[in-house]
Amino acid sequence: MQEIRLDDRLTRPMPTADPLRKQGGEGDGPSKPDVKRPESRNILDRMKRVDPNQAKRYRQRSGE
Amino acid sequence: MIGLETEYGIYVEGKGAQDLVAEATYLVKAAPGPVATGWDYKHEHPRRDMRGFTVDHLSVDPNDAQFEQSGKTHLSDIEVRSDRVLPNGARLYNDHGHPEYSTPECTSLRELIANDRAGERIVQRCAERRMARNGGVLVALYKNNTDFHGASYGTHESYLVQRDLPFENLLRGMLPFHVSRQIFAGAGKVGVENVAPAPEGVHYQLSQRADFFTTIASVDTLYNRPIINTRDEPHADARRYRRFHVICGDANFCEIASLLKVGTTLLVLRLLETGWLPEGVDLRDPVVAIKQVSRDPSLKWRVERAQALGGGTIGAVDIQRVYLAAAKERLAGLSEETDLVLAEWEAVLDRLESDPLSLSDTLDWAAKRALVEQYREAEGLAWGDPALQSIDLEYHNVDPEAGLYLGLEQAGEVRRLVTEDEVARAAEEPPAGSPRAVVRGMAVRRFHEAVKSVTWSRMLLDDGGGQTVGIRMAQVQDLDPATVREALEPARTPAAFVAALERLEREAGTAGVNDTDVSDDETAATAGAALV
Repeated sequence: MQEIRLDDRLTRPMPTADPLRKQGGEGDGPSKPDVKRPESRNILDRMKRVDPNQAKRYRQRSGE
Repeated sequence: MIGLETEYGIYVEGKGAQDLVAEATYLVKAAPGPVATGWDYKHEHPRRDMRGFTVDHLSVDPNDAQFEQSGKTHLSDIEVRSDRVLPNGARLYNDHGHPEYSTPECTSLRELIANDRAGERIVQRCAERRMARNGGVLVALYKNNTDFHGASYGTHESYLVQRDLPFENLLRGMLPFHVSRQIFAGAGKVGVENVAPAPEGVHYQLSQRADFFTTIASVDTLYNRPIINTRDEPHADARRYRRFHVICGDANFCEIASLLKVGTTLLVLRLLETGWLPEGVDLRDPVVAIKQVSRDPSLKWRVERAQALGGGTIGAVDIQRVYLAAAKERLAGLSEETDLVLAEWEAVLDRLESDPLSLSDTLDWAAKRALVEQYREAEGLAWGDPALQSIDLEYHNVDPEAGLYLGLEQAGEVRRLVTEDEVARAAEEPPAGSPRAVVRGMAVRRFHEAVKSVTWSRMLLDDGGGQTVGIRMAQVQDLDPATVREALEPARTPAAFVAALERLEREAGTAGVNDTDVSDDETAATAGAALV
């Protein structure tokens, strides 16, 4: 069985800004600078009700 | 035939991972009736490999093994798994600490997606019943594939394909496709797992699952997971079919993402069955490439091609375009769903190339990315703040009052393919286009107490007079589903039900169809040997 290999560990330089935002239009990356935002205020309210520690507590059995 | 299996994440207030096998059992047992029990594990063969051998054992995650003793219950394995077969023909059971909902066999993408969404409603109903029985202790269910701590669990796809499709062609044809389809099928994930130290600059990736694949092809699913799963368990006539069992996909909420994930895979399999093979897309190292595509913050998704092709790199969108071009040329016009998939496939690839973040109403990874970004800015958080993983997690909550995807859906901000009525109907009734599911679902609704044993390929029922009568799905598979429903409708006893079905099988000439589900070693060895 093949194990995880050393060359599997990707390293990339840390971008200085949000990695998914276009930097000044150069290159052939994403052409639209801004993420399309959900319009509803309700969804932000719902997100603010999320316990920020929920993912820390969330532990699962390994499945298939 | 196509199907989806989803292992749900389960959180129970006050409980740890060691308790989740027991908690998943409680949850499955809370399924409202009527349900049939008696799943027959004698007919399951997860160690059988389509390359013509059977492995002695499957790999187990050593980090997970610590929970085996501390979380051990006093129940038998059958009681722990607590399989339920539902009136819609689906299976609900406890798979290693995860409630798993397996859709019934479907024959259309629309029915499959309605049934997949119905699974969310069914498990949430189980959670509500469990909470009511357990003093209101919170049970939350997540349609996702990771716990952010290195434990992954699957969303698997099943495709019935012709057995004479050579394994080598399947492997060569599907590897670049699976590596690249995450660009529309990924559910998105905050952070990276299974790598130490974490790669710099990768805060968000396309796929929940890509971090967990360490080999190209194997029969394993729990550990050392492969991009191509070689399990040979067709649940149908093994001489005619294999079931291509895809384990590298994510759980999707976005219905267009599901349409593309399953629809494009189906079309590529049809292409491979005709003998077509992709050219110019073989990859130097698919295991590396699947992670590169998922983690690439530039969204260019370029990966290295095989040295035999002269090396260089190719973009995931370009890989997908090779498959799309062949599908358009050879399969366009086959059906309305084929043309729908082809149109959405092309449109989504165009937008992925020009404006990928605009797909937040269409693809899960983009929808979640937009939510995380909105929350991050509102709260003034840096990328890397652990609260963002909690937003990721809650995207997948199936509680309509809490789930973030479901919040988007309620606000009308994501594209739908099926209606709420179709989802509600799919939770109660078998898919109308699937004769196997129609038979199984009707038998469960009417005679669940008479069901003695059940598998995907067979059912045994007590006829009420001390005799056992059987149903073989291979003989049902090619019947007209509407005719089946009409013929079975008047049956008031299991014996009459089976007799009516046998009359149909005789009239259709399917009564003698071989129903071997590689359930005996000799047949499996013969069928498998023919592949190598």
